[in-house]
Amino acid sequence: MHIAVCLKHVPDPSTVEVDPLTGLLAEDRVLYMLNPADESALELALRLRPANGTVTALSVGPIEADALLREALAAGVERAARVWDAELGPLKPALTSILLAATLRVIGLPDLVLCGGHSADRGSGTVPALLAEQLDWPAVTDVTRFEITEGRALAQRRLARGARAESEVQLPAVLGLDTERIRLRQASLPKLMQAQHAPIPLYSLEALDLSPQDLHFPAMTLHEVMPPRPRARIMFAPDATASAQERVAQILSAGIAGKSGQKVEGGTPEQQADAIIDFLRQHGFLEQRIAS
Amino acid sequence: MSVATASEVFDVIVVGAGPAGSTAALLCARAGLKVLLLERGEYPGAKNVSGAAFYGSAILNELIPNWWEQAPVERYICRRDIAFMSSTTSVALDFHCAAEGYTTPPYNGFIVLRPRFDRWLAAQAEAAGAFLLTSAVVDDVLRENGRVVGVRVRREQGEIRGKVVIACDGVNSFLAKKVGLQREFHAHELSLGVKEVLGLDPAIIEDRFRLSGDEGIAYEYLGAITEDVHGGAFLYTNRDSLSLGVIGQVSSLVERRKRPYELLERFKAHPAVAPLVRGAKLREYSAHLIPESGWTMKPTLYTDGMLVAGDAAGFCLAAGLYLEGMNYAMQSGLAAAETAIDACRRERYSARALSGYRKHLKQRNVSTDFRAYRHAPAFVNSARLQNLYPEVVASGMEQLFRVDGSAKRKILPLARQLMRQYQLKPGELLRDGYQVVRAYLW
Ligand SMILES: Cc1cc2nc3c(=O)[nH]c(=O)nc-3n(C[C@H](O)[C@H](O)[C@H](O)COP(=O)(O)OP(=O)(O)OC[C@H]3O[C@@H](n4cnc5c(N)ncnc54)[C@H](O)[C@@H]3O)c2cc1C
Repeated sequence: MHIAVCLKHVPDPSTVEVDPLTGLLAEDRVLYMLNPADESALELALRLRPANGTVTALSVGPIEADALLREALAAGVERAARVWDAELGPLKPALTSILLAATLRVIGLPDLVLCGGHSADRGSGTVPALLAEQLDWPAVTDVTRFEITEGRALAQRRLARGARAESEVQLPAVLGLDTERIRLRQASLPKLMQAQHAPIPLYSLEALDLSPQDLHFPAMTLHEVMPPRPRARIMFAPDATASAQERVAQILSAGIAGKSGQKVEGGTPEQQADAIIDFLRQHGFLEQRIAS
Repeated sequence: MSVATASEVFDVIVVGAGPAGSTAALLCARAGLKVLLLERGEYPGAKNVSGAAFYGSAILNELIPNWWEQAPVERYICRRDIAFMSSTTSVALDFHCAAEGYTTPPYNGFIVLRPRFDRWLAAQAEAAGAFLLTSAVVDDVLRENGRVVGVRVRREQGEIRGKVVIACDGVNSFLAKKVGLQREFHAHELSLGVKEVLGLDPAIIEDRFRLSGDEGIAYEYLGAITEDVHGGAFLYTNRDSLSLGVIGQVSSLVERRKRPYELLERFKAHPAVAPLVRGAKLREYSAHLIPESGWTMKPTLYTDGMLVAGDAAGFCLAAGLYLEGMNYAMQSGLAAAETAIDACRRERYSARALSGYRKHLKQRNVSTDFRAYRHAPAFVNSARLQNLYPEVVASGMEQLFRVDGSAKRKILPLARQLMRQYQLKPGELLRDGYQVVRAYLW
């Protein structure tokens, strides 16, 4: 069985600092490391590799990514390849997946592709699925555990709210892993020395037979990532006309006593629906409509 | 850059890619030897305390002409300021020098940030042909018939052979101890340095410290800053940050139950220091040991198949006016390299064959300097110099300059009063005076 693992270099969070003077990321101080989820994927690939199998490590990235491909070589992968081109702008998941798919086609399609489910820097978690789309293979994402038997992958998936699912796919397939952190094995000294200056083949757009148009991916544009916004809550306020004693009592009862229901009765279904929406809006359960 | 495998025998294995190790590896590689440079950090300098005044420019210039043009240096040092402090007052000696060689190449000293500088220096050794291996912790030496024949890296199949091993693994050298060249240090022979890098706008730095362009200043402080803990403090200007720290003798820190960072906070709050660091923001914090007892704790420096250089050999001059380790690390690294080159040429690696190290150290003025200043550490670490005299000087000046309507006193009566106040005995003063002279003048 031939396995390919996709590795990404991400900033080491312990070296990421905001320059106190400019408020910008101090980029010259950042050191890069292997994305933790990809490290787990790599170690799993090495454990999974049968006696006659191979593991190939792939990375899309500038020259700094060679360091992690060397790490992979030292740990025991058979082959490493880096994909980069001066033409490439900032990497978006769609672009990365096109490049990865093209590289796999050039160097030989594997039976299984393992990806870390999320990268520590962007974490969109979409590369495994997009890559599968590019290869026209099945994909299973959010995989916490899997097993390969007779050309099939049986995968356990993590769903929302602790629910789990079990899926089975026919190989070749792409798995996006969401396992616990698994540390890469420590390389032996001879392997480490060997990998130190091992040449790492570089695939440019030309080598992949891609033109800049192939990389145009208009289907989706990410405009902005917004932090979660707490929902506005209406605080209970005691009735100002009541006596002080009553107000204290109201506060102590946390408004429970004052919470009286309101029945929506009569009118057309539309009117009833409008009344409910109004109620919800009033109580902050629905966002206020922005006047356009 | 060279390609190498673990099964081959290296001519020289250098352990530790600090200033000592990288210069040793550089020189050996230039002589055509097969050199392996092992560093435990993820990259050279990763484990090093961050800011330093580097006074080895001329030495490095011999190896890499105009090295400062390509190296990551912060500022050249054209001013040094030595301050004696009491808790309220500071009296400083301001040395401003625009002489040839200070503000012109090769420059007397540079302020550098160690993680960057060490990384650059190791890359120079690599470019000269040394094989640099990082993430390689050496945890033992290989011995055959009592001779050191290599080292063991803490990894599977980690044994690797070399004809000469040069231990440059820093203070408290694990390797030197392993082969019995170094005893355990006593707490009074070690100091602990805690250090911070504080970010500050270059324009503010230049204004505040009256510097222009690439000029830099190095401050050294003695006295109350360290309370009753023996030690001192320093502050250097980087390009867009300040490096500052306090150094305390380990034994007195323990005795007085003082935490080093408390001293650092006190130092930053001192009225003479606070305005210098105002508005600066913390970037890095680190701590490191310094061997402080100079010549008296110098270990034996070689044995069959192995040499020791840099801090590992105790070559760090930490004596009051001086805090110089990097330059001696490089000089001793070069001396060790010269010895190893000789040994490889003659194919003899016994302790006797390596005894030429002593001669090389002398030629490079390392042993002569350490012999010359051998009395300095003990004296500098004495309570009177550390705490009392700086305070006497500071409070003497305070009284000398005070104008409050009372009669002005001349210096002599003032001195008499101070001696009474601080219970100084003339005999002691004379003896200390002699010590100063002996420690620094000849
Ligand atoms: C707070 C402080 C301030 C200082 N300020 C100055 C200053 O301003 N100017 C100055 O000249 N000096 C200064 N010094 C002293 C200076 O830092 C040292 O003298 C100098 O770094 C010694 O160089 P070295 O190469 O011998 O050792 P180091 O620089 O300590 O390098 C040793 C290297 O060996 C590696 N190593 C250790 N053990 C192993 C192992 N088992 N396997 C593999 N690698 C290993 C370490 O990771 C390290 O990279 C200061 C020291 C301190 C603590």
